[in-house]
Amino acid sequence: MGLGDLKGLRVAAAVVFTAAAAAVFLDPGGWAVTALARPLTSLQFVPALLKAVTVAGIWTAGAVFVLLLTLLFGRVYCSTLCPLGVLQDVVIRLRRRFGRRVRYRYERPPYAVHYGLLYVIVAAFLAGSVWLLDLVEPFSNFGRVLAVLARPPLAALVNGGSYLLGTAGIYALSPVQMHPLVWGAVAGALLFLALVSLLAWHRGRLFCNLLCPTGALLGLAARFSLFRIVIDEHTCLDCGLCERVCKASCIDSTAKRVDMAACVGCFNCLDACPTVGMAYTLSRRGKSGTPPAPVRRGRRRVLAAFAAPLLAGGLAGSDSAARVAAGGVSKRPVTPPGAGGERRFTSACTACHLCVSACPTRVLAPTFLEYGAAGVFQPRMDFHHSYCNYDCTACTAVCPTGALLPLTQDQKKEVQIGTSVFVKDDCIVVAKKTDCGACSEHCPTKAVQMVPYEKKLLIPELDNDLCVGCGACEHACPTKPRKAIYVEANVLHGRARRPAGTTAAPKTDVPEEFPF
Amino acid sequence: MNRRTFVRTGLGATAAAVLGRPSWALPPMAPDRPSLPYDLVAVRGAEPDVLFDRGIEALGGMRAFVRKGARVLVKPNIGWDVTPERAGNTNPRLVRRIIEHCLDAGAREVTVFDHTCDNWQRCYRNSGIEQAVKDAGGVIAPGNSESYYQEVALPRGKSLRDVKEHEVLLAADVFINVPVLKHHSSSRLTLAMKNMMGVVWDRGFWHANDLHRCIADYAAHRKPDLNVVDAYYALKRNGPRGVSTDDVVAMKSQILSADIVAADAAGAKLWGMAPEDVRHIALAAEEKTGRMDLDRLNIKRIAL
Repeated sequence: MGLGDLKGLRVAAAVVFTAAAAAVFLDPGGWAVTALARPLTSLQFVPALLKAVTVAGIWTAGAVFVLLLTLLFGRVYCSTLCPLGVLQDVVIRLRRRFGRRVRYRYERPPYAVHYGLLYVIVAAFLAGSVWLLDLVEPFSNFGRVLAVLARPPLAALVNGGSYLLGTAGIYALSPVQMHPLVWGAVAGALLFLALVSLLAWHRGRLFCNLLCPTGALLGLAARFSLFRIVIDEHTCLDCGLCERVCKASCIDSTAKRVDMAACVGCFNCLDACPTVGMAYTLSRRGKSGTPPAPVRRGRRRVLAAFAAPLLAGGLAGSDSAARVAAGGVSKRPVTPPGAGGERRFTSACTACHLCVSACPTRVLAPTFLEYGAAGVFQPRMDFHHSYCNYDCTACTAVCPTGALLPLTQDQKKEVQIGTSVFVKDDCIVVAKKTDCGACSEHCPTKAVQMVPYEKKLLIPELDNDLCVGCGACEHACPTKPRKAIYVEANVLHGRARRPAGTTAAPKTDVPEEFPF
Repeated sequence: MNRRTFVRTGLGATAAAVLGRPSWALPPMAPDRPSLPYDLVAVRGAEPDVLFDRGIEALGGMRAFVRKGARVLVKPNIGWDVTPERAGNTNPRLVRRIIEHCLDAGAREVTVFDHTCDNWQRCYRNSGIEQAVKDAGGVIAPGNSESYYQEVALPRGKSLRDVKEHEVLLAADVFINVPVLKHHSSSRLTLAMKNMMGVVWDRGFWHANDLHRCIADYAAHRKPDLNVVDAYYALKRNGPRGVSTDDVVAMKSQILSADIVAADAAGAKLWGMAPEDVRHIALAAEEKTGRMDLDRLNIKRIAL
């Protein structure tokens, strides 16, 4: 294969995968997410790995594929399948076009920090938390940047266009509903985007070899990859061009060594080499790999000493989170169907916001600290803004980590994510002595029924066996500022009884005579 | 709706908001009609489209309501994400047939929308109404974005003093209201008057401020030109959404009337409830928005 082809192939793959990933998060119509989310995310390494753990090892195919790919070809994943990697390449390209020319220089990758961080992340995960992982995992951060930062302006654009067309009587462009901005989530995504862009602008792919857990994990495999970039001592002119274009700063042109553990497989070096001094080839490992600095015992102890208090702090945060407990609102955040419960959900969700993008009713919302510091940004059900559609399973179908397990429509109807609480004194019927019933009206299972009250009024009555916790009652309740009916989260999801009823054709009863 | 009417209603609404004297900004009322042959027509024993064919024929045909070049709003109930046989929404075959009659009568444009309760795209799709409208040559408009709604005052409203109405309603020359006959947990029954909650933005205010009173206030403010109560499928309990088809009875009936109160009174009786037990019907009759004394009305009954 010609050398130019490799870079071309890499760019083409990157464009295809990143465009698909962007479409999944941004498409206001929701078609992309339905069609593409599963195949796309099954190849996202850390989410696929998490899914392998959460779904008891069935869904390992994607992770195994990426691992094999890396064992064969090095970290080509980082330049093609990883949308955050490609995002950094875009920044790097922008700098090449508009900024001062950058010359990369070989640097010994910051293994200590990188693998130290991975160590803490793995330790936290084993302790039941995705704390830190969700802050640095590339796919999730890419998702948050798009879902939280890019989607709202795009929606505004669509809605503006839809409105203008509407004034001309054309309603072909549907307006899209948006969840109000969650400022903590916006700030978090902005901060991350700024950090990654700055790093990319000044230091190329440093993020991938400093903070990225996927980079660290795949680096372990890439070290042993079959195909490697090697410098041929006989044809090399010692011009150093390869080193200068290496975004990952992993080529030591003087020592004629390429650190495959840090190489992100962009193949720019092959493109830049004026001779045939560089080759991407099946190779014995001799020259090309820098042995990683082994994590020494002493350092390990230091890391453990660091990790323990950090970990403890992170986990404690989830319990000490400030919650509104004034009534009319759930004490804990309500987790989406398929989550199983708060603990299971928060220990596996990397807050990629794919479910938030897929949710047609926009009831799934970004959070900031609602779950506590350890669960920062993990989505919750926001019934003040909307409610969960009884027949919809969109979020459960797209979750890439298995934090939400896939549910069929029938299964979902038996999942109880919370139960209704009726605050009688706040109810319109009691407070104003007029009919209301908005809660019962919206309830899909009639867990909220209207029963006789004073005079000819009707008042809500709950049968929480039937309640799925969809939040329709809470959403519809017109009392302000506190809702007279609300859903209290099931910290461990329960089971709802299916309401009686068949799907048989309605029975016919045409009146003999009109009663008037 | 064309740009001119948009600008006109927009200016009207703006001026109303600024001046607080909105009488000239009110929507154009339907042109005076020669009196109809019947106050109310009730048809039973056929498919929804056939029921409508016979019913509208008895009222003098659609030309009695729709003039050449008129802009028509057909407002069915599309409130819920359920299929037609669940009777949560107006029957799509009826909606289709009404649009066809309007276009036959020379309507320039027939638009359909509802401010749905469940997710609007799912409601439009799963009710079958979106497809029915497209098949008939009508326009389906979204109703779940506040930007479509403009403030209108109800000077005579007792509880409801102002609402935000959908621009399609504001621009319509003819308003055809097409509810489905349903049990309703809030308002006892939902019929023609209750169906109009789907043309305004803030329904929560109605619920929080004497629901029946608000429904009657709004009916007094904006009377449709024609009400068609779809009782092909009727929801007998667990309304307005229903839980399963067990809640539904196929009555294969339809009620047509230009009098919204009469339509509701007849609908209530057909469902099996005395009109006076539905407070908003009683209130509207009391305030002479329409009549619920059915025995004094000129009614045509058709059995097929």
